Amino acid sequence: MNVLTLDGVVKRFGSLEVLKGVSLTLDRHDVVCLIGASGSGKSTLLRCANLLESIGGGDIALFGQSLLDPRIDPDLVRRNIAMVFQSFNLFPHLNVVQNVMLGPVYALKRPAEEVRSEAMLLLERIGLRDRAEEYPDRLSGGQQQRVAIVRSLAMQPSLLLLDEVTSALDPTLVGEVLDLLRELAAEGTTMLLATHEMGFARDVATKVVFLDQGVIVEQGSPSHMFDTPTQAATQAFLARVRPN
Amino acid sequence: MSQRTDAPSSAPQLFSSRRRLHLSPRYSRVASLASTVVVLGLFVAATFFAPGGVQFRHFFFDPHQMWASLLGNNRGLASVGKGIWTNIWMFCLCEVLVLILGLLLAWVRITTSAILAPLRMLATVYTDVFRGIPILLVFIIVGFGLSELNIGWISQQNPPFYGCMAITITYTAYVAEVYRAGLHSVPNGQILAARSLGLSEATTMRRVILPQAIRTVIPPLLNDFISMQKDTALVSILGITEAVQSAQINAAQSFNDSGLVVAALLFLCMTIPLTRFTDGLIDRDRARRLVAAR
Amino acid sequence: MRERVAGGVVHSEIINLLKGCIVRIIRLPLAGALVATVLVLTPASNALATSAPTLAQCQSTINSLEYHPGTLTAATDLTNGVYEPWFVNNKPSNGQGYEAAVVYGVAKELGITASHVNWVAEPFDASYTPGFKHFDFDINEISYTAERAKAVSFSTSYYNVTQSIVTLKTSKMVKAHSPSELKTYLYGDQIGTTGLSYIQNYIKPTRAARVYPTLQGALTALAVGQIDAVVLDTPDGQYAASAEVTNAQKKLIATQIGQFPSTGEHYGMLFAKNSKMVACVNTAIQALAANGTLAALQKKWLSIYNAVPSIRP
Repeated sequence: MNVLTLDGVVKRFGSLEVLKGVSLTLDRHDVVCLIGASGSGKSTLLRCANLLESIGGGDIALFGQSLLDPRIDPDLVRRNIAMVFQSFNLFPHLNVVQNVMLGPVYALKRPAEEVRSEAMLLLERIGLRDRAEEYPDRLSGGQQQRVAIVRSLAMQPSLLLLDEVTSALDPTLVGEVLDLLRELAAEGTTMLLATHEMGFARDVATKVVFLDQGVIVEQGSPSHMFDTPTQAATQAFLARVRPN
Repeated sequence: MSQRTDAPSSAPQLFSSRRRLHLSPRYSRVASLASTVVVLGLFVAATFFAPGGVQFRHFFFDPHQMWASLLGNNRGLASVGKGIWTNIWMFCLCEVLVLILGLLLAWVRITTSAILAPLRMLATVYTDVFRGIPILLVFIIVGFGLSELNIGWISQQNPPFYGCMAITITYTAYVAEVYRAGLHSVPNGQILAARSLGLSEATTMRRVILPQAIRTVIPPLLNDFISMQKDTALVSILGITEAVQSAQINAAQSFNDSGLVVAALLFLCMTIPLTRFTDGLIDRDRARRLVAAR
Repeated sequence: MRERVAGGVVHSEIINLLKGCIVRIIRLPLAGALVATVLVLTPASNALATSAPTLAQCQSTINSLEYHPGTLTAATDLTNGVYEPWFVNNKPSNGQGYEAAVVYGVAKELGITASHVNWVAEPFDASYTPGFKHFDFDINEISYTAERAKAVSFSTSYYNVTQSIVTLKTSKMVKAHSPSELKTYLYGDQIGTTGLSYIQNYIKPTRAARVYPTLQGALTALAVGQIDAVVLDTPDGQYAASAEVTNAQKKLIATQIGQFPSTGEHYGMLFAKNSKMVACVNTAIQALAANGTLAALQKKWLSIYNAVPSIRP
């Protein structure tokens, strides 16, 4: 069964049509990388997928259930679809472990002690167990973003949305975040990423989707997309981001 | 030809004729203390050497009159010390009410829910109106107007009830705006992050937005509370004998304003801890941010 | 003395209060129990003052005592307006009204012609502050009090003031106002007034009186039923009951149920502290009392006040 199905999704901001009928499916364990220039609609697509933005047409389904059904509770949807942002968005008033615990404790209403030990395991995994009691502003950007990823993993989501999670990072810190994502991909986490990291996309993606001005121009396996793209727009974009 | 040859043969002039005072920290403290003493001394001297100095001091700083005003007596002097309790309990009560109601009002104003649209409009009108009306008029309208309306329970309350009501009504409007500014100061990314964790709107408010907003609103909030403390003096218009009213009774009775000075001192005792606390918080927050920015 | 705002509807009471809400301190005369003991009131006892100059002495020296030699400079609160029956048409120089008539009577006794009497404005609040005065005396229904007399000087009485009770016509107080019954009511009054002192020192009610910064505030509280009664001097009470406290139909809803015995409170002309003119003005007032002029003027201008029934605290 498809984890996520986008069927002709349209999104407008006023008169500006940002998504012009986007269709896309993710199966379990898929890692789908959205590539495309800034403003092509990648971030908007991710936000529509977890209902942070309402859509103007088409349909979105999670495990075959349309999310446009009025009986759908968006909060319950978001508990199954976690999202990581370009600018981390850690909660500055909470320390690292509290950041990780917030969702499970207050959204899932799980017992705090149980959640804490899980959170500590997650932090241990990213090597930040000893920083658990510190506040986010004492952490480097790469550490913060890894905590943000772990924060969404703590919700045990069926799908992880990642919106250009390395774009705000110092280049020397990008690697540690991508390594974590590689691990997650290897474990079979279902992910939909907007990214500019072409090398990462090529290594990890099960499918690469090229989005241009709100339209999916071309999609396919990484080898197809990076080695033998058929569309002129795809070729032009790849030539720009990979000058050699 | 090399530029080097144009280099000045002597060191550039770095001393200006303008003299700057360089003091070691210890001498700085001495200097500030000395200038404080001089300035205060001038004020005191003014009351001693001014032509009307004697009358001035008798009129405002007569120790006997101040003491009698503080305690009151059975010959018609009201007790300013007793009166200040009225200010204190009214302030404390109103503060709690305003903190709660102001937050509710701010929340209504920032929600985007369509169902709350009429409520939102009302809330906007409310804050506009009650921030714009001098509080004295609110006292009169609430304090006498509600009695006159004769609509049962609400019309049969005593003046302190109406006084608290008027203060609460006015300051809720102010405080709601302070809250609103604070809530808006929390970056949108925080809300997105919280909602994408599946937190409800209410939980997001309580666990993510409020804790961050509170820190930015505390200084302006305390400012409003300081002026609220002072505005409790205005309830006298409804016939409530608080500190300033007591002092005025005494001023009228004894033709001496020393009681007003006592009231002023008592108000200072009430507000100065709060102002110092506010400044301390502001400094601490600033220091914290400087550390974070490093 | 206070502002005369005609045609107060109960809710226009509130509006009036809104208008006048800048707190005016002490617009009413004040006096405590002290006053009663301190005062030496009657013209007869004034005669005991050993150094009282004769009218003849005064007439020859008065010019040199005046603020503007050759002119008697009298002040009253022209800024806020002066009213009947004390003055007529806010114009003291017409000699109409009790206080205007008394001033011209005093001038006449001192040998000053009416054309040499000049009127200047002095706000009530400023009148009894210590220091320099730009007039010979101020006449503005100012009550003598011992405290005020520390800052300024007063003439002897040209009018003795009594306190009176104003309540709503619907109040049971209209019938029930024996001394013991009077103690059971909730009173309200303006800050610093002799009425308030009277409540505290003579009526001694079981519940403390409510104190308002303005008389308008006390009357509004009376009108909306927050207090049972206001005690104020008979002229003010007469005005309150006959013009001020009205309902939405402009019907008068208050009544002045009675006046109390005099406590010695009186109106005096106000002078700069230790003014040398006080003695001569006192001599003139004494002469006006002796020849019946004061009584006649009171009968002419102030008879409405004498008609108020007497009650006891």
